[in-house]
Amino acid sequence: MAKQMLLEDHIRKNKRNTVLICTFMALLFLGVIFAFGYIYFRNPYIALIFGLPIALVYIAITYSFSVQTVLSAAKARPSNPHVREEKLLIYKVEEMAIAAGLPTPKVYVQDSDNINAFATGKKPENSVICATTGALRKLKPDELEGVMGHEMSHIQNHDILIATVTLAVVGSIALISEILFYSLFWGGAGRGRKNEGNAILLVIAILLVILAPIFSRLTYLAISRKREYLADANGARLTRNPEGLAKALEKIKNDIPRGKPKGSKTVAPLYIANPFKRQNINSIWSTHPPVDERIRRLRSM
Amino acid sequence: MDILTIGIILVVLILVIVLLVFLSYYNKIIRLENRIDNSWAQIDVQLKRRADLIPNLMETVKGYMKHEKEVLENVTKARSAIMSAKTPQKNIEADNMLTGALKSLFAVAENYPDLKANQNFLNLQDELTHTEDKIAYSRQHYNDSVLSFNNTIETFPGIIFAKRMGKKEQEMLQIPEAARELPKVKF
Repeated sequence: MAKQMLLEDHIRKNKRNTVLICTFMALLFLGVIFAFGYIYFRNPYIALIFGLPIALVYIAITYSFSVQTVLSAAKARPSNPHVREEKLLIYKVEEMAIAAGLPTPKVYVQDSDNINAFATGKKPENSVICATTGALRKLKPDELEGVMGHEMSHIQNHDILIATVTLAVVGSIALISEILFYSLFWGGAGRGRKNEGNAILLVIAILLVILAPIFSRLTYLAISRKREYLADANGARLTRNPEGLAKALEKIKNDIPRGKPKGSKTVAPLYIANPFKRQNINSIWSTHPPVDERIRRLRSM
Repeated sequence: MDILTIGIILVVLILVIVLLVFLSYYNKIIRLENRIDNSWAQIDVQLKRRADLIPNLMETVKGYMKHEKEVLENVTKARSAIMSAKTPQKNIEADNMLTGALKSLFAVAENYPDLKANQNFLNLQDELTHTEDKIAYSRQHYNDSVLSFNNTIETFPGIIFAKRMGKKEQEMLQIPEAARELPKVKF
């Protein structure tokens, strides 16, 4: 029982952190739009009328195409229940869906020697879980179960939604800043010169526009790392066996990737371990927390 | 604005907030209760499914295991215990019996290379293991659901609404410690 409470605490703490970081991102987003209006029209509110709808449409479009984009970028195919390895994968996914009390996701397979897996889908009712053939071959049943528990948690926590929406916000912040930057460079802030406003405010606005893309990107990565810890903890709650996932992560760490990783870098945060980088580097630019730290946390549960 | 108007506005505001809290807790409690019923149904489905697989297994095994009468009888006995179980607790006991009987059946099967090469047998073994895991997980989900229901109706402010709605604490399924380990049939 004490063990369980500890897991619950982990989960609660991670959720609170995500809310904080998302709020920061939203403030950044509004800040950029206000700065845009201030630099251009000396009136931050005008930009809201133009900027907000454009940004929202951009976010909506990115969001609605997310599933197909991810699956085709990964070159994933539907699993074949007549192959024993893939049948056992389908079984594991079904079991984890029952443990989480969710509808069973569609199961896809990616032909690749590397050990990896990801989940995608806008809501639990039409989600997809995909594992590489390497994972099916190299992971033992309890390890595969740990990985599937992790992926099922991503679905349960609506992480895919969070990842696509935050990424779209990062994209629109970058877009707005770029437009501003170029127009400042070429047009010299147009109307701005006619009535000298508050110089300090103008400098702050320009700084905000320059720094916002970097900060939003970092915020996004921080969210992604927090969600990984959360999915690890929640996954362990589903399997009641943190050791399974810990062993799987160890295998992933020691596995030497062969061949070029498939898939797009945009969706790297959805994977259980970043397919594009060696794992042990701990940096604010990583999509995933360091594997050793994840293993340590799992073993201390 | 005089003090009276402010007072009236405040009172109305507080009433609205109380109403909203009540509605959200009412919905939450009902939702959690439905989840318990639903996860019970899930356990039932899995238990039936496993019982349905047994005759198939017996048919496949019969030809090979002529000298293992006792093992086979135990499985059949456990199966009929499941079919006739009336209460959840009886159901679980019968299911644990079946799990144990199947475990010894699969252990004995190791001595029959012909049987182990039989594709049909392998498929059944996979599927039985899978249903066993599913049963374990649906029980776990049942207990998780009961836990969050109980937590909601026993803590503030849920406890106030639960009393009014006449909701009582529900009982978790007693799963023996070993049962969590047993379903892992080795292959």
